[in-house]
Amino acid sequence: MWTVAKLSFKEILYKRIFLITVLMSLAFLVFYGIATYYAGGKIAEGLGSRAADPDAILQRQFFSSQFLGIGLYMASIIASLLAILSSVGAIAGEIESHQMDTLLARPLHRRSVVLGKFIGLGGLLALYAACLFTGIICINRWLGGDVLQASVSFGQACKAGGFFVLQPLLLVSVALLFSSTMSTINGGVILIILYGIGFVGGFIEQIGGLLDNRPLVNIGIVSSLVFPLDSLFRHMTITLFDTADDPISFASQGIFGSVSAPSGLMLAYIVCYGIAALLLALRKFERRDI
Amino acid sequence: MSDSIIQSRRLTKQYDGKAGCKNITLDVPRGVVFGFLGPNGAGKSTFVRTMLGLIKPTSGEAVMLGLPIGSVAARRNVGYLPELFRYPEWLTGRQLLQTHAELSGVPYGERKKRIDALLDRVGLTASADEKIKGYSKGMQQRIGLAASLISDPELLFLDEPTSALDPIGRKEVRELITELREQGKTIFLNSHLLSEVESVCDHVAIIHKGELIVQGLWRELSDIRTTIEIMAAGMGEAMARLDHPAVTGTERVGAKEGKDIWRLTLDEEEAIPDVIDRLSSQGARIYQVVRKEPGLEDVFIYWINRKEMERGVDRR
Repeated sequence: MWTVAKLSFKEILYKRIFLITVLMSLAFLVFYGIATYYAGGKIAEGLGSRAADPDAILQRQFFSSQFLGIGLYMASIIASLLAILSSVGAIAGEIESHQMDTLLARPLHRRSVVLGKFIGLGGLLALYAACLFTGIICINRWLGGDVLQASVSFGQACKAGGFFVLQPLLLVSVALLFSSTMSTINGGVILIILYGIGFVGGFIEQIGGLLDNRPLVNIGIVSSLVFPLDSLFRHMTITLFDTADDPISFASQGIFGSVSAPSGLMLAYIVCYGIAALLLALRKFERRDI
Repeated sequence: MSDSIIQSRRLTKQYDGKAGCKNITLDVPRGVVFGFLGPNGAGKSTFVRTMLGLIKPTSGEAVMLGLPIGSVAARRNVGYLPELFRYPEWLTGRQLLQTHAELSGVPYGERKKRIDALLDRVGLTASADEKIKGYSKGMQQRIGLAASLISDPELLFLDEPTSALDPIGRKEVRELITELREQGKTIFLNSHLLSEVESVCDHVAIIHKGELIVQGLWRELSDIRTTIEIMAAGMGEAMARLDHPAVTGTERVGAKEGKDIWRLTLDEEEAIPDVIDRLSSQGARIYQVVRKEPGLEDVFIYWINRKEMERGVDRR
């Protein structure tokens, strides 16, 4: 299992998609850093001497949470797309190219292949997501100035970072399920559509929450049940913004916050969803003709 | 310990009731080069892939090294070079062998020595640290062959092992197979190249349209008919007057130094002296008699035709 994990870890490092994603992520961070720096200066200039007014404090906190939310949402999309593109062909691609033949002819349990892929891909993507998350937080902290710097403690950032990192892990589990069951192209299309459903459903749920429209909230809940990635993101933003020493929850502001917050039960559902996908992947691959 | 390294009993793998292989009952003795022969699409690769647990049998059972197929333990002492070989292109040849050594549980201390020896054996020492992406087809087949041998397996499945090799490479693989047999290993050679099998195999099985036609010692299977070539003068008239019940076929195949060369097919070896006597008594002046061994192609066609005829009789 560890040999397969090591091989998967190395393979993704050698793939051009990873290099491109890393370079584009760096470009994104630079762009985001510049934008944060200038926006912070401009907003501070606009607030001027009113900075200490309660109204200005609310505005400041709104802008900081929104700016941080934008960065994290984009980072989440980048990490998710990388997770999908690198994992959906992890098994199916090797079956299609017959690379799997020599691997499985070795004294190796098929479950070791799936678990090895999960550990290798998941480990690298988790590391990548953690770096991206840290980059966004650092930019906010060091370049956001007094205005855009979100009030986030180290503990909160670590906890939220944990939820952020869970996103690619969930995607890798589901991608491996599809990869064990069908062709790369079919699995990729289905996973991207599921991701889209979760993405759009998340926004619909937040809009429903803002408008107090129950059917919209329910649509969002159903989409979260079908694919709960967006709920994980919402849970991350709540952990990050909803501070105990802040009387106003800024997580309930704007489209990147959470008006309709995922419950603890939803979090348990997400974890079970990921584990179930991985177990199903093991089962499917165990029975599949190569 | 059983004498058979592979035993399959009515092993069947069908895809929607079609293709694949059907009711294959095979016994492969230890320490031989076993040729599994058949035209393309006959079911050879399906059988091998079923043995290796890559595909699940529809019915029947089989054991390999005394262990049921599909189990991890059964594959512990097995090497495999697939027909459609592909390896991670981003690895170097040496890294590929290191990976397979790790997967096969080769002790860490032995790996380097074994890898270097195998790279040397397949002639890839100079390009061992180049990426497989830059390897030619033939080089990829060679590195695949080295990977299949990394665990020093008792049983080696080679599926069309020379398909990408040039004549020199083919000769080298034949030599390697012979060398492995001398080391006591069993080689299961899947091939549609009859000449390749003919030169190295001691046991042969023929598969056609997914069904096993025949299996056994090559020497016994090839004993299908007796063919002799006679170089003589005055053969035309002698042949016209020859009336021998053992002679089933005659054909003039050429001439040399003013003498005709005739090929005679007899249904039994014992009839040779008698036929020669009769030809001489009919006026043929015989200069040379050569016993012709049937080629694998003849054997192959003979057994397939025989099976087809039996089927025809069964249907009636």
